[in-house]
Amino acid sequence: MSGINSSTALWYVSRATGAVALLLMTAVLLLGLLVSRQGKLPGLPRFAVTGLHRNLSLLSVVFVALHVLTAVTDGYVTIPLISAVLPLASPYERLSLSLGAISLDLTLALIVTSLLRGRLGRRTWKAVHWLAYLTWPVAWLHGFSAATDLRQGWLFAFAIGDLLLVIAAVGWRVAAAAREVPRAERVGVLMAAVHQRGRGR
Amino acid sequence: MTTATTTGLPRLLPRDGGRPEDWRLHMARFGPIPYRGSTGRLIDDVREAGLTGRGGAAFPAHRKLAAVAEAAANQRVRPVVIANGAEGEPASDKDATLLWLAPHLVLDGLQLAAEAAGADRAILYTHEDRRDDVGRRLRAELRQRRDDRVDVVLATAPPRFLAGQETALVNHLGGGPAVPRFPLPRVTERGLDGVPTLVQNAETLAHMALIARYGPRWFRQLGTGAEPGSLLTTVRRGGDGRPRIVEVPFGVPLMSLLGDLEDAGAVLVGGYHGTWLPTAQAMRLRLDNESLRSAGAAVGAGILAALPGDRCGLAETARVVRYLALESAGQCGPCLNGLPRMSAALTALATGRAAGRAAASARADLERWAGLVTGRGACHHPDGTARFVRSALRTFAGELDRHERGRCGAANRAPYLPVPSLTARTEEDWL
Repeated sequence: MSGINSSTALWYVSRATGAVALLLMTAVLLLGLLVSRQGKLPGLPRFAVTGLHRNLSLLSVVFVALHVLTAVTDGYVTIPLISAVLPLASPYERLSLSLGAISLDLTLALIVTSLLRGRLGRRTWKAVHWLAYLTWPVAWLHGFSAATDLRQGWLFAFAIGDLLLVIAAVGWRVAAAAREVPRAERVGVLMAAVHQRGRGR
Repeated sequence: MTTATTTGLPRLLPRDGGRPEDWRLHMARFGPIPYRGSTGRLIDDVREAGLTGRGGAAFPAHRKLAAVAEAAANQRVRPVVIANGAEGEPASDKDATLLWLAPHLVLDGLQLAAEAAGADRAILYTHEDRRDDVGRRLRAELRQRRDDRVDVVLATAPPRFLAGQETALVNHLGGGPAVPRFPLPRVTERGLDGVPTLVQNAETLAHMALIARYGPRWFRQLGTGAEPGSLLTTVRRGGDGRPRIVEVPFGVPLMSLLGDLEDAGAVLVGGYHGTWLPTAQAMRLRLDNESLRSAGAAVGAGILAALPGDRCGLAETARVVRYLALESAGQCGPCLNGLPRMSAALTALATGRAAGRAAASARADLERWAGLVTGRGACHHPDGTARFVRSALRTFAGELDRHERGRCGAANRAPYLPVPSLTARTEEDWL
């Protein structure tokens, strides 16, 4: 790799858009976790968090599309277009690109079901949306295994940072869900608390 | 109860003072089911009769019937009809009584409603705990019936205040907890198993069975122009608070139902989602929504209770509101957070724990919270509870003043209004 010129430009664009797509997907996942716990961001109303989650996910798809198209168009290595969605279709980096294809397929499933959410019913949509927890790790592995970029220098710190952030956020979500009082017990818990305080006064 | 204004009564209940009507007695009195042969005609009769729902909301019965029939035709599916005898309201006993004394009128109405809506499934939803063995008796009576065209399935409501709420009922019959959902889409469009669903109160169906037999003009011989016919009421007065079930025409003076009430402290109209009225005001009113509306009250499911003068209205209200708060499904924030606070404030006022300035602020809090929860639930549980609380603040203002100074006028501390002791703790209690 010796600097950017007309023959390497596409290759650089592909690597850069891939890294940006990973960054965006991380943000989308974190926002999704927040939305699922009905959390808020400072200074933003709740619906804006949902809107940000939705818009960033569409933006990440744009970057993934650029990432795939530039990789396929670049002539330095041969990557058939079909390998973008079909695992094991690329002779180059067969395993890594398969992970990328799986991740892209999952992403498409998430996007399509979300666009059709009104027609699908909440239960179906939600069942598919759980795949987000699979999509991100597969995308991360794709990046980490395919690109030497992510394994050195500040991009290595970026990749590991992303990973730790996601692990922490998922841990927070699991803990928050476990702390939640089941619907049937909410009233009783609140009644006890309110009456107790009333007595103390 | 027979007076000059009530000729032709009782229409629904057995005439010879409470002997349960089995299939044979029912056939002797009413004859076979007058099927109409097509969907439209009974709906027209019900509209002309002006029958309103007897479950509490007084919604015109023909509009629900027509909505279900039309939705089913549009969607090209067979709808479901459900007789609602859940009667989650502890102060009401009229549906349980009707199902015990005259089950076949309800079942006739269910068959006729099924025909009118084009349904191929019918469900009778009851609260079995109300009468020993009512379930076994209904099953036995169902086997006796010869001219049913649609099989009737018996289903049991959990002992929850909200179990009879339309969407809660549909949730429960669908295998889920008996908790209300957002009212849209209406169950008449998408109800049980996603098909149009007709939920009618058991008494409403019994009236429908009579309209099919004797016609709208006969039905209108009793009641008022806006609310024709008779209704079953649950009346409590006097010491032990045992209820009497009385069938009366709409528009009957409350005084004729409750009698001379010089010693009563107040009258509760419409049950636990209803309204406390000062006795003097109640005695000037009639039992129809036009008259009661002038006092901010409604007929509801026909519940009347005269609180004896030696009881504390605040203590009664606090006990009932505690129960209502515990019966919140806990799904909507205003209900979940508001009702327990209102309950705590009322308890503090009733027990005298809040006196002086604390009492004044508790009263202000109650008014404010009542306003904050109203209209902000998926169902009307917060609205009804707020109405009940506000009417208590008005009607028992003098009692509140005494409590503020640390005194209570009640000599008798025994509970009067019925409040179940079993409250929901886990999801299973809603199933």
